[in-house]
Amino acid sequence: MTDRRRINGPRGGTNPPIFASSLTSPSTLQATRPTRTRRPDELRKIYLKTGLTPSASGSAYLELTPSSPASHQANSLIPVSSSLKLTCTVHGPRPLPRSAPFTLHLLLTTHVKFAPFAARQRRGYTRDASERDLGVHLETALRGVIIGERWPKSGVEVIITVLEGEEDRWWGDEVGAGSNGVGAGGGWGMMNVLAGCITVASAAIVDAGIDCVDMVVGGVAAIVGNSNARRKRQLVTAEGRQTVLDPCPSEHENLEAACVVGYLQNRDEITELWVMGNAGTATEDLVDRAIDAANAARGVLVEAIKEAAQSKFGIKDADNGERKSTAATQDVEMAG
Amino acid sequence: MSAPATVTTAPVLSFPPPIFAKLSPSPFLLAHLKPSASNTPAIRPNGRVPSEHRTPTINTNSLTHGSGSAVVRVGDTAVVCGVRGELLLASNIPHPRRDNADRSDTEISDLGLLVPNLELSTGCSPAHLPSNAPGTLAQSLSQRVLSLLQKSDLVSLQDLEILYRPPVTDPDMPDETPETVVKAYLGLYIDILFISLDGNPFDAAWLAVVAALRDTRLPQAWWDADREMILCSDSVRESRKLSTRCTPIASTFAIYMPGTVQQRRSSQESWMLADPDGFEEELCDETVTIVLDCSKGNTSGILKVEKNGGGTVGRALMRRMLSEAERKWHDWSSALEVTDAV
Repeated sequence: MTDRRRINGPRGGTNPPIFASSLTSPSTLQATRPTRTRRPDELRKIYLKTGLTPSASGSAYLELTPSSPASHQANSLIPVSSSLKLTCTVHGPRPLPRSAPFTLHLLLTTHVKFAPFAARQRRGYTRDASERDLGVHLETALRGVIIGERWPKSGVEVIITVLEGEEDRWWGDEVGAGSNGVGAGGGWGMMNVLAGCITVASAAIVDAGIDCVDMVVGGVAAIVGNSNARRKRQLVTAEGRQTVLDPCPSEHENLEAACVVGYLQNRDEITELWVMGNAGTATEDLVDRAIDAANAARGVLVEAIKEAAQSKFGIKDADNGERKSTAATQDVEMAG
Repeated sequence: MSAPATVTTAPVLSFPPPIFAKLSPSPFLLAHLKPSASNTPAIRPNGRVPSEHRTPTINTNSLTHGSGSAVVRVGDTAVVCGVRGELLLASNIPHPRRDNADRSDTEISDLGLLVPNLELSTGCSPAHLPSNAPGTLAQSLSQRVLSLLQKSDLVSLQDLEILYRPPVTDPDMPDETPETVVKAYLGLYIDILFISLDGNPFDAAWLAVVAALRDTRLPQAWWDADREMILCSDSVRESRKLSTRCTPIASTFAIYMPGTVQQRRSSQESWMLADPDGFEEELCDETVTIVLDCSKGNTSGILKVEKNGGGTVGRALMRRMLSEAERKWHDWSSALEVTDAV
């Protein structure tokens, strides 16, 4: 499909490279599968920074450190797993165009876009359904937090670019014997992306100075079954399942259910809840664990926002009591 | 703001700089470039002298997927560039070349093996909010990057070809050596995303493209005759780095002329601003872009000169710009060498 406004690839079409090592027998391939080395309640380290885009009202950047060791990566060109990298810019509140109908509340518009190099398969530039779906979920999460009554007839745009996304399962499962379990068609990676989107959008909105009732943080938890039992085709017993926080889908062979929450800690409220898979009677417990993940991520968010506030407004530092002054404000004299 | 009748001189206005910049940007810039006190030097609102460019910060190999990547920060402009290699089978080419012997230099552009695309609608500035269609600026920048990639011969065709020499099948006719054929080509998708835009997108985007291409690692690929497909090796040791033939660096200059169009015709005042930022770009109509390559001791390897928007720039000013562009080449190429060494 040629897009006349962009430079298109070669006529005839291109295919991604197929590596010879991926065509080996499934057993040798399974040996390279990554496993989770973190504790079940341990999250990956989050790096969050605000103020990347000075021309926007607010901006933030989030990066998760990869959970698999780098030693395996050095020998092979095939990446083992990806780590989430997101940027968010917030523009607004700005007045709506005259043609827009009158709104008493702030009109929130969210855009989520995956970069072409965000996944193993190259994505196009046009927005597809999964990105619009993420945008709707993100809007639900943020709508409950922003105090919209203070800006009638105004709109705010939250734009998220996913530089690197999470995968739905380990790449060897796609190439080899195929994957079993719920969500084989996709979706687990989206939950991690949504949790990251909520956190980074929250940081950017606070950086933009938009009033919120609290800071919303995204957290994700999953119920994983016993991988050995699956392979031996035995019935998965209740003891085999465990709930893990911040799941990396390529590390778990069979994810049974996952849950994303957008959580406000001070008010103990949930603005966004998305459960995928069959959790059965353990659904409430799964949601509680996702809230634990959100609380664990909140510390990083608060630190990042404090740093941003200090550099922007010169807040008095409580530790050493000095007043950090802002940039030089020398007035320019203009006669006449 | 009413002055009493007895005061004859007008009151002097004094606002903080950001307010003044928003209210009257052109006089604000003029006050900086032409200060009222004669001994203060001309300095721009961002603190640079008119002939000074920004120094870039380059980080490569930060993205997991794809063959190469670079993140470039030039002042407040930030660009991410990802390079991904994909296979184009020779049998899929709609109108292939008949003879293998005469491979002209235009084969890369004929086949369209280099595919750069620039995306500005990421919210990098309030003027570039997401929409489905790329605007005129993004389209023209993509086209400029593509034409510069093709004209500069940055990537050689040999790096992108996958050859196959069929084994000798008939031992009775030993003088008929099998011809080496090209079974496939590697197409490079170069995707450039702007995280933040503060003027001069072309220089930053071009630097990101060069840095990402130098960082690109292509897997070793061969034609498997049994399976009739191209297979690649995932071993890093067997892979090869893409070799870039030259190091072109782009320099953009903007010409600032104060006043309205009628005033400009009569007055001769103009200032050359190297590496303009977003505020200055809005106030200037005329821009000059010079792409140089000074490697291998070639001091005047001019690849491209683009000039549009006005007629102020004469030969003397062009020479000044060339020497400034040469200085910038040395600065920016040493920044590239530093990232290569890391």
